Amino acid sequence: MNNLWLVDMGFVALLIGTGLYCLLTMRNTVKLLIGVEIIAKGVTLALVASGFARDNLVVAQCLAITVIVVDVAVIATALALVIRINRHTQSLDVRKLTKLKG
Amino acid sequence: MLHIILLVGLVAFSVLAVLSRDLLKSAISLAVASIFLALVFFGMGAAYVGVFEVSVVAGLITVLFITAIALTRHDGDVAESRRHWIVFPLFFLALAVIDVLVMKRLLGQVPAIQGAESGSFGQVLWNQRTFDLVGQVGVIFAGVLAVLALFRPDEKTHGDASRGGAHE
Repeated sequence: MNNLWLVDMGFVALLIGTGLYCLLTMRNTVKLLIGVEIIAKGVTLALVASGFARDNLVVAQCLAITVIVVDVAVIATALALVIRINRHTQSLDVRKLTKLKG
Repeated sequence: MLHIILLVGLVAFSVLAVLSRDLLKSAISLAVASIFLALVFFGMGAAYVGVFEVSVVAGLITVLFITAIALTRHDGDVAESRRHWIVFPLFFLALAVIDVLVMKRLLGQVPAIQGAESGSFGQVLWNQRTFDLVGQVGVIFAGVLAVLALFRPDEKTHGDASRGGAHE
């Protein structure tokens, strides 16, 4: 494997780690979605870097575009849910979502 | 060298998006990170993904985030922990050290199979993929419905407003 691919994968791990930290520690629901978005960036970079390293950029680009489309749909759906929840609880705090708590 | 600088910029703006207290600044940092990622893609020769990254992720998703932030103006009561400014640098440093120590050994074991390029981008996108395009169309429709839900007026306030209008 070439060294550039290893460098790219190192940055992919940093991006996914940052996104996971955001998902695990933040309380604001919009910030959680920003964490999801950062993880998606890492995945897209991993796909394109792997395609570039293996000289198969066409398939990698197709997969990356699919990931981006799915990512947009996920973010749009999740933001709609956040706005609905915000109208009920008057807050963006994820700890206040306790309606289903037993 | 430029490639590394762009990747550092991408990670730096992603970290800024996580640590920033203002949600608007977070959304804008995320858009800047997307632009850095798109430049990385252009540098690799992946122009189609680069264009998608700029137009869809840096454009559309940022607009969606800013709309959502504007529609939910009760964010002052979310008290994030102040320990992030201490915990996150330690976490990031540990991650980077593990990354440097483990990544080369871990990924060095991946067999180097060279995949043959098969046709142009359009042929691969439309001819080689079959059933997953149906799923992708479904996902796009789900996104459209979600955007409609995003702008749906609140039933209670809408009802009150129309009733008030009837009295007048």
